[in-house]
Order: sequence, then C-alpha cells, then structure tokens
Amino acid sequence: MGAAAYNWAQNQLDFSFHAFQDSRGVTVLSPDANFAKDFTDRTAVKVRFGVDAISAASDSCARCHPDGANNGRVVSSLNVTRKYGDTKLTLGGEFSRENFYSATTALASIARDLNKSNTTVAGGFAYSFNQPQLHPDQITESQHSIDAYGSVTQSWTRKTVTQFGYEINQINGYQTSPFLRTSVNGVMTVGNSPDARTRHALSARLRQALPGDTFLDADYRWYHDTWAVDSNTLSLGLSHHFGASVVGGGAYRRYTQTAAYFYEPYYTGTPEYYTGDFRLFPFDSNSVTGRLELTPKGGLMGMPAGTGLTLQYERYKSTTGFEAGIFTGGVRIPLK
Amino acid sequence: MMVLKTRVVLAVAFAAAGLSATACATVQPWQRGLLADSCMVFDSNNTAAYMTHWQESREGSMGGFGVQGGGCGCK
Repeated sequence: MGAAAYNWAQNQLDFSFHAFQDSRGVTVLSPDANFAKDFTDRTAVKVRFGVDAISAASDSCARCHPDGANNGRVVSSLNVTRKYGDTKLTLGGEFSRENFYSATTALASIARDLNKSNTTVAGGFAYSFNQPQLHPDQITESQHSIDAYGSVTQSWTRKTVTQFGYEINQINGYQTSPFLRTSVNGVMTVGNSPDARTRHALSARLRQALPGDTFLDADYRWYHDTWAVDSNTLSLGLSHHFGASVVGGGAYRRYTQTAAYFYEPYYTGTPEYYTGDFRLFPFDSNSVTGRLELTPKGGLMGMPAGTGLTLQYERYKSTTGFEAGIFTGGVRIPLK
Repeated sequence: MMVLKTRVVLAVAFAAAGLSATACATVQPWQRGLLADSCMVFDSNNTAAYMTHWQESREGSMGGFGVQGGGCGCK
C-alpha cells in the first residue's frame, strides 16, 4: 500500500523491461508500456499495458510439476484526469488476468493544490473484485477489497518537500493461498485463513536537495493489520547529477515484519486457521538498488530530444533464505 | 500512565502547531527549480510501480491501492 496520489506525468510514452530472478529458480520477464497525454488543456489520459511472463519453478509449482510450469499475467489500465482549477479528479479502471486469478479494479482520486501550489492534498478510493481459482480444482472463489487513502504533500523550502499519508484497506472473502501448503498433523495441507482483514498504513516521505547537485530521499512506512502482521519499512537513497545528461543513484531498503497471529511452523490438533503462506511468516529483508538515468541532449538513438534511458538493478535478500535480483531497463519518450 | 498520555498529547500538539506555522511560508513559483527536478518528485518513474508489484508477492504488508496479482509461480 503506498499512500500517495498518482503522479500525473507530462505527455510521454514509457517502455520498460523488467527481469526478475530468484534463488528458487523462478524467472519473470515483464515488458511494460505506459502512455500519458493531455488531450485538452483540462483532460489527460493515461493508459498502461503490462505482461509478466513467469517461468514457474517455485516450491508451490514444483510440488506437482517437477519439470517446471509456465504462467503469464496481463495487466491493463486506463485513467482519465480532469482539471477543475487547482483540483484534479481522476477516474480509472484496471484489469489483471493470469492462470487461476483475475482482478478487476475501479478507482477514483482527487487532488487539490493549496497555498500557491506548496501544499497538495490528495485522496483516493478503490474497489477490487478478485477471483482466485483453486488449483488443480476448478472452484472459483471471490474476494472484495476496498481501499481508501489520503495524503498531504508540502514544499517547505525551495530544497525540501515532504509527503505524509494514511491508507486503510478492507479485504473480505477468500484470502488463502491455494498454492502454498503447511503441515497439519503431519499432512501437507492448503491453508485456511480468516475471511476478513483490515489493514492500516502510515507513511512519511522526504525529498531533500543537498549541495553539489545531490538529492536525498527518505521514506518510512508503518503498517498494522487485524491478522497482527506489523511491519516497518525504511528506505534511504542518494541521487547525483553527473553533468546535464546523467543521473546516478543508489538506495537501501530495510523491511521487518511480524507473523500473523495464526502462523505456526507446523500445526497439530484441529486448528481453526493455519497457513503455509510465507508472506505471513516473521522475517526481515534488506535490499540495495543502483540506478543510472541517461538523457542525451540531442536525443537518444534518433528519438526526440528529452528521450531518456533508465537502467536499474536491485538485489533483495530476506531472512527466510529468499534472494532475488531484479534488472530494469526503460526508455521514456516525450510526446508533443 | 496519565503523565505519559499528557506528554504525548503535548508533543503532538506542539508538532502540529509547528507544522502549521511553517506551512504558512510559501515557496514562490520562480524558486521551484529544484523542486521540479525528477529526483525531488514522488513516484516520478514507473520503476517504483514495478518494485511495489513484486514486493507485494513477497511481503505480507504490501499491496493495496490498485489491481493485484494472484501469484501462481512467483509465490
């Protein structure tokens, strides 16, 4: 949950390619395209289309498919923003479909600039209807998610800007992972999670310009839910302009999480709830990211001036033994 | 316990007063050059959205606003 307003970009076309590989041998290749354009002086449209091509060798798949299995996810979204003076109203929808899961989301958000645009107050609401399909069964379950957020972005000086946010998310319906099993009286069994969960997140974010074309970013997020999962996330980053065309940066992220109240390494007797979902285990994680952005003055590879290339690599490691490397390459092309 | 509560309330009140007072100071439009730099803009790139997407498949507290994935294969 990121308690922040959508950033409405200038007219541009973004192509990104993400490559994810983890210590279990799972590879995910994700091309992604984003198109944003102001169609009138008051109306802007943003369209997104993305694919996750998954080479599935994870524990949950390898149990039944020792030779591996493949999956794919397609996500598309459309958002329309209309300006009314200093107020922006956004309405949109998103649709995601993959093997054994589909999600449909409607969302609305509003943002208003105050105090000569030094303060932006934003809020949003989203409703998702998700349908996990039990596998290998053919039973389709349903899940309803309602989410609301509010945030305040404040420019304090010409070098300092902050953002504070709060988000609440209520999920009802089937919330068990149909793929992950745990030991109940020695038998590996698909879990059984409660069918209601309320989630709260508070966030504080800082962007600070430092001397010498260097910038600091610091984000903190506190999270609590009614399954007793508590988490703290802190990330710190530095970016530096190496001349007019190159920005380089690095960031460190630290994440800690407590277990859900019904989590046990294994279960005996007749527990009401039980889970094999590693996202409900207690763990910590650390990640480091390096980033390079190139925006050549005369354009890039024949594309218009202002075209930028982004290269990024992240290394992630958690105390559960999970490790992953994520590479991203992206091209941003400005439109007239 | 009562003393602690009072201190917390006072601290929050002072912080709110301080923030409110400072919020009256405005940065003029011609002073916003650095604030417009992409390094100073929250969520200025699409990479952050992808990072959030894969984190929600690994961490119990992530995900929320917007569409979510199910996760056969990568979970």
